Amino acid sequence: MRSTFMGLEASKRGLYTQQSALYTTGHNIANANTEGYSRQRVNMEPTLGYPGTGLNAPKVAGFIGTGVKASSVQRIRDAFVDRQYRQETNKLGYWETKSKSISQLEDILNEPSDYGLAKALDGFWNSLQDLHVHPEDGGARTVVVQRAIAVADSFHYIYNSIQQLRENAANEIGITLRDINSVLEQIAHLNYQIQSVEPNGYMPNDLYDARDKLLDQLSTYIPIELEYEKSGGNALAIAEGSVRVFLKLSDGTKVKLVDGKDFAQLRNSGASTSDGLTPTDSVEGFKIVRVDEFGNETVVDNNWNVDNSAQIDINQFSNLGKLKSLVDSYGYIDINGNQKGLFPENLEKINRLAKEFAEAFNNLHQSGTDLDGNADVEFFVINNSTDTEITAGNIYVSNTIINSPNKIAASDSTPGNAEPGNGKNALALANLKFQTLAGLSGVSIQSYFEGFVGQLGVDGQQAERLTYNAQTLQQSVSERRSSISSVSLDEEMTNMIAFQQAYNANARMITAIDETLDKIINGMGRVGL
Amino acid sequence: MRVTQSMLSNNMLRNLSESYRKLGKYQDQITTGKKVNRPSDDPVVVMKGIGYRTELNKVQQFSRNIGEAYNWLDTTDDTLDKIGSALQRARELMVQASSDTATPEDRLQINSELQQLREHIQSLANTKIGNKYIFSGTKTTTPPFDNGYPEPIDDAFFKGIEIEVFSGIQIQINTTPIQLLKDINLMFEDINTSMDKESAGKLSSFLERIDNVMDKILTIRADIGARQNRIELMDERLQSQEVIATKQMSENEDVDYEKAITNLITQESIHRAALSTGARIVQPTLVDFLR
Repeated sequence: MRSTFMGLEASKRGLYTQQSALYTTGHNIANANTEGYSRQRVNMEPTLGYPGTGLNAPKVAGFIGTGVKASSVQRIRDAFVDRQYRQETNKLGYWETKSKSISQLEDILNEPSDYGLAKALDGFWNSLQDLHVHPEDGGARTVVVQRAIAVADSFHYIYNSIQQLRENAANEIGITLRDINSVLEQIAHLNYQIQSVEPNGYMPNDLYDARDKLLDQLSTYIPIELEYEKSGGNALAIAEGSVRVFLKLSDGTKVKLVDGKDFAQLRNSGASTSDGLTPTDSVEGFKIVRVDEFGNETVVDNNWNVDNSAQIDINQFSNLGKLKSLVDSYGYIDINGNQKGLFPENLEKINRLAKEFAEAFNNLHQSGTDLDGNADVEFFVINNSTDTEITAGNIYVSNTIINSPNKIAASDSTPGNAEPGNGKNALALANLKFQTLAGLSGVSIQSYFEGFVGQLGVDGQQAERLTYNAQTLQQSVSERRSSISSVSLDEEMTNMIAFQQAYNANARMITAIDETLDKIINGMGRVGL
Repeated sequence: MRVTQSMLSNNMLRNLSESYRKLGKYQDQITTGKKVNRPSDDPVVVMKGIGYRTELNKVQQFSRNIGEAYNWLDTTDDTLDKIGSALQRARELMVQASSDTATPEDRLQINSELQQLREHIQSLANTKIGNKYIFSGTKTTTPPFDNGYPEPIDDAFFKGIEIEVFSGIQIQINTTPIQLLKDINLMFEDINTSMDKESAGKLSSFLERIDNVMDKILTIRADIGARQNRIELMDERLQSQEVIATKQMSENEDVDYEKAITNLITQESIHRAALSTGARIVQPTLVDFLR
């Protein structure tokens, strides 16, 4: 026999459940603009019918419904789309940073313009041409000196600016590592919270969202691979469990970074670092350390076994993520032990240009004679005593020349015999710019520089194009993700009305049952009264 | 596909910023007048641009060099012309002096005029362009005659001064008649010593010497004239080269204004459309219609 008040109970469950749904709708609306939020849904299911089964169950007709219950609150999310999103974010992180680095280099070179190194070299050439026409003219000589200083200054500017960019990249590597480490710690912490909630049969949706957001952030820095581990206890089947985060290397090797509530930290390996994070010289690789509660660090291998010599060589990293891109710009040691990287390579190119230019110029200059018929004067010198080779950073016009421009060897006369009107050597010096030099792989200074700028342009264009592609792909995945997870106000409004009406109807139901009960309790047995 | 408000507003923002980016690009193009502003915009155009700039700079420099060449050749020609006139006058005087009717007094007078001419020619030989002696070979700071006495000369006095007027093409702008000038000087010296001693017949032999040097001067002037012609040709070539180089550079990197402005206007209307669509789409939700 069913209970007299069973109908009340069923409708009460209805009230509660619709209320939960209504509150969840409210939660969704409140978070409509929250980044990384996935809309939530109350999974409703009917409660078991009456009577229950069993030998001593009352034998009544039917298996009457007893109402509804909110079995779980679930977030709407597609793990596959997340995975795709993170893959594209990896690429975007890499190319965006690369494109930024190249465009900074472009800004420094400032070509095409009327102020760059090409212009300075042109100006120097002009002054030497003028000198060859007026070799005895003090004015023409002074102009040559000033233009030469301008060329040296242009070299210094490029050199110092690239050095500056390198330093900035080093700082950014340090900051990125710090960020990565903090994200790893936060993920582990969220794992811990999730592990404590799930066994109680709850779905910590907002914790999942927070964790996914951190994973998104992590995937802009490094390529990651995830594994999920279900929680025990009374955890729901749809509960996600704690996540294990791995760094994925180019050969598919997985390096464990987070496991449950435990996490590792990334450090810059090798001695060339100031604080374990910021590199001070080309990056060799990274190492994984575990930090205990006293702050002591132990170096571990891919699976967290203590191994003091363990390190991940930088060449094992795939070209994904911002970290690798920054390292590529800053400079690293490749498999053959050579220094590679955007900034060091370009610095090396500009140094080579400065060196070959200065040396060829000096050679030619030393063979000519000055206004007094003396030969063997150096034109460009190294201004500090520690360097043995001319670079773009230390090339200077010799003080002898600056103090007495008459010492510029414009003439090709025999030494000792002054020929003030002879400007042949000045012409040779001018045209050095268009002469092929063995040190520049057989091209002239002019075309070497053109090639240098051109190469940078081509690389920049490629980086920009790939950034654009990755951005487009990431956007379309992001669109898909929004399509699945983001809050639609119209939908929430419709739901609100549906739940509100259901709530009202349940309340009305209670009134109806109340009336029937009223009939039984107050009206029955009083026939004719 | 399920589309939500946040997707619409994100898309709108992205489209608007893309639209601003394009507006910015056209703005850059129109205000700088250049199609490209950094190597990655178009590496080929930029590389060519650097090349064309250098090319144009070269042509301009060569034009400047040619100006100097004109200056030298014209001055040299003019100076030689004046030396020629002086010699012509010397010849007339020598004709008078070598006449049997000329008395020794006449001859002394004629000689003093001839010696004036000698000084005149010496000063012409010391002609300078700026601070350069034009007949001193590459020793342009040493005059051929110092206070009436010829300077000792060495190889450098016979060296040509060549300047570049085109890539790889050098033209000699000076002439080196130093020996001739010395010969002329010597001739006047000989005249000076022989004038009051020699017979008229002997003096007439000087006429031949004068004719001889005048001939040589004419030969030199013919050579200068030929060089002037060559430089004029070169100059014309350079001028057309400058026009061509400027045009090439402009075609390579300058913006096509009609195109850029049309693009800008098109982009502007797209931008307006995007803004107004945005305003329409983002505003209303079901909330506005529920009561």
